[in-house]
Amino acid sequence: MAILKTFLYLLIYPGFLFLLVYSTFCEWFDRKVFARLQNRMGPTHTGRFGLLQPVADIIKLLAKEDIVPERADRKMFSVLPVIGLAIASTAMLLLPVWHFSLERPSPNSFPGDIIVLLYILSLPTLIFFLAAWSSTSFFSEIGGARVLTLLFGYEVPLFLAVLGPAIMAGSWRLAEIAHFFQQRPLLLLANLLGFLIAVICLQAKLERTPFDIPHAETEIVGGTFTEYSGKKLALFRLMIDVEMVAGAGLLAAVFLGGFPGGVFVGFVHFVIKTLFVIFLLSILRAVTSRIRIDQVVNFSWRYLAPLAVLQLFIILLLKGFVL
Amino acid sequence: MNDADVFERIRSLLGEKALELTHPAPRRIFLKVDPKDLTAAMAVLRKELGFTFVSTISGVDLGESFEILYHMANEVTNLNVRTQVPRSHPHVDSICSVIPGAILYEREIQEMFGLVVDNIPDGRRLLLSDDWPEGQYPMRKDWVHQRPEEKIPGGKS
Amino acid sequence: MKYSVPIGPQHPALKEPISLRMTLDGEVIQDADIRLGYNHRGVEKVAEGKTYLQNIYLTERICGICSHSHSTCFVQGVEKLLEVEPPRRGVFIRYLVSELERVHSHLLWLGVAAHEAGFDSLFMYVWRDRELIMDLLEMISGNRVHYAINTLGGVRRDLDEGQVKKILDSLALLRKQSEYYLNIGAHEPSFVGRLAGVGLLTKEQAVDLCAVGPTARASDVPIDVRKDDPYGMYGETPFEVCTADTCDVLGRTVVRIKEVLVSYDIIEHLMRNLPAGPVAIRTPRRPKPGEAVARYEAPRGENIHYIKSNGTDKPERLKVRAPTLGNYAATVEMLKSGFLADIPLIFAAIDPCICCAERTATLVDARTGEEKTVNFSTLRALARERWKNAPLKKDAVWPF
Repeated sequence: MAILKTFLYLLIYPGFLFLLVYSTFCEWFDRKVFARLQNRMGPTHTGRFGLLQPVADIIKLLAKEDIVPERADRKMFSVLPVIGLAIASTAMLLLPVWHFSLERPSPNSFPGDIIVLLYILSLPTLIFFLAAWSSTSFFSEIGGARVLTLLFGYEVPLFLAVLGPAIMAGSWRLAEIAHFFQQRPLLLLANLLGFLIAVICLQAKLERTPFDIPHAETEIVGGTFTEYSGKKLALFRLMIDVEMVAGAGLLAAVFLGGFPGGVFVGFVHFVIKTLFVIFLLSILRAVTSRIRIDQVVNFSWRYLAPLAVLQLFIILLLKGFVL
Repeated sequence: MNDADVFERIRSLLGEKALELTHPAPRRIFLKVDPKDLTAAMAVLRKELGFTFVSTISGVDLGESFEILYHMANEVTNLNVRTQVPRSHPHVDSICSVIPGAILYEREIQEMFGLVVDNIPDGRRLLLSDDWPEGQYPMRKDWVHQRPEEKIPGGKS
Repeated sequence: MKYSVPIGPQHPALKEPISLRMTLDGEVIQDADIRLGYNHRGVEKVAEGKTYLQNIYLTERICGICSHSHSTCFVQGVEKLLEVEPPRRGVFIRYLVSELERVHSHLLWLGVAAHEAGFDSLFMYVWRDRELIMDLLEMISGNRVHYAINTLGGVRRDLDEGQVKKILDSLALLRKQSEYYLNIGAHEPSFVGRLAGVGLLTKEQAVDLCAVGPTARASDVPIDVRKDDPYGMYGETPFEVCTADTCDVLGRTVVRIKEVLVSYDIIEHLMRNLPAGPVAIRTPRRPKPGEAVARYEAPRGENIHYIKSNGTDKPERLKVRAPTLGNYAATVEMLKSGFLADIPLIFAAIDPCICCAERTATLVDARTGEEKTVNFSTLRALARERWKNAPLKKDAVWPF
């Protein structure tokens, strides 16, 4: 039975199948919200309400010719999208959805898994950089350099913001943090500032407006993905979608009280909370314009990082005097 | 100051140098100068009357000679300074030392009419496409465009 | 690390083919090089072989956005040669289309600039509004792009009462919506922060390099042909020349937005005072030998046509200078020592209409042609010095 459960966990929910379906749904949701905020209709034709549009896009890309530039490092160039998707999917398995017990650590829920998850979510950035570098195009290389510069901007505030609740809960385990806040929902309000910082940093991690600098189409064509086409580009797009779900899941687990109530109620919690985070991301995307890379670094070190430290202070004070 | 005042000022400032000076329509003044006086006249016009702005430079093929018109403007009137150079020796001085923004138009006229603009700061021959044949000046009246013969790949030869 | 990055001739930021070759040090532009000629059609040569009436339709096709500006400029010149005066109602309708075109061109530009800055929401909103103008133009002329409303001695279509009312109604709606959206755009800090201080062009540079239109006006050079050399009914129409003193892309945006609002006023004035009478008169086909210079304030700046007639029904020479060509020298100057991320913005800020500019010419960094290599710290020092001296507000806010 335990083995069956593990297989279900890996392959169906929240593993591979659910992840693929849900990430395409999230892309649809993001596109629809973005479009409605811009007075457009967004996807309408493919499937009911255009629900199948992201799937159709990926199928279209899969059918396209697969081009590897002559000067590119062939092996790296081809293998990176697969590794990237694998990494992003792995991040999903660490979310405390079900199939864990609070008392006993398991391979998908153990003390310190929040650090591992953050680490795994940093890896896609590296993948983007390597992908850019191995395609040996000017535009990709500039994109790759921007990816890394961007990383220096958002990574520290994100870590500081996400570690705040962990300190408050006194645990490095996602399931325990979530459980802690389920017991004391009011304390979630203390983390509001951290949540906003984390949403902004997640936007930067996902490279969406206003942080879509590494692939700003009006400046450096496709940026990181200039040379990618066909299947490889499809895998990258899927990877970004999965990363978005995993990132939203992380924020939901840490700041929004996790996903209590077993498989089914937990599922509802998961969907509602991740969609809420994605909704915030879409709004952020719709109301801002792209900023310059120097402005990003300036902004995150001048405002985000100090605010994240302030949030940590608030949490430490709370922990010292109230709890 | 209106255009009539400008007209009088030009007459008094340039004196002998103004070969022809007409005022055919409101805010339109036509002035003719000798090519060798051109830069000096431009400098005076810019300094004294504020003609800092060159709209464009037109070339006209008159057959035996080329006419070059510098369409200039200040805030009250338009001034067209014309000069003529013979076809056998089509040399004119650059006015870029006086008005730097005129460079584009000088380069354009160099390519289109085969005029030689002396002392041009940057006279690289790149106005037309890279494989444009030497000695072909498309805006001259005797230049006729000949459409290359159409070849249909795989069709009848 | 030094790169030479080609922007164009095919590039997502460019709607028309042009080649910008940038030498970069990291993200900083060291040298800019413009190369044109991908869209060359030889319109001036073709015009010499066509009659004046045919040339109206040819000049209209010089540009796809400000098509009316070229045909109007040409018609103004030819009417001077023919010594005819179009009837007042015709003049009013001609410049009504002019002002509508200016509004649609500026709104189009604002959308494009927002897109270049990555602010797609503003882009979508502005372009939806622009549709109202396009509908009006279609109603007036029957066409959305090439209005073909000009003819020698007037215009080809009249307006009726219902159309005048519809124009005024749409205008009221547009005015409300524009102000609302412009407020939103103006209060979005990332957008303003992105535009401020980018692409500096000082007043002296703008004068020296003969910049035209909103580019010059944003550098506080108050040139506007409608004011300096009033044609049509502009001499009797109250309006003001919009300038800004920030000398950057933000200033160019502000100038264009103000001009849109001023154009609304002009359109309203034209519609309220529309005289009765015919819209066109018959004209002779052959002008006497002579020459005429016609100037016109296109949305992008001064448009000048020089027409020389020789007594036949075809012009001896037609010289067209589109505003974009006048701004290229200034653009090269603006691009230098900017950031890579600013290239599309700076370039878009002159509202380039490449097909206009390219009916005859190709050029490469025309100003000096020098290719200096400066190390990064010198460049930084230079940029800082220039920043200090530039007439620029560092904590930029929307000027109105």
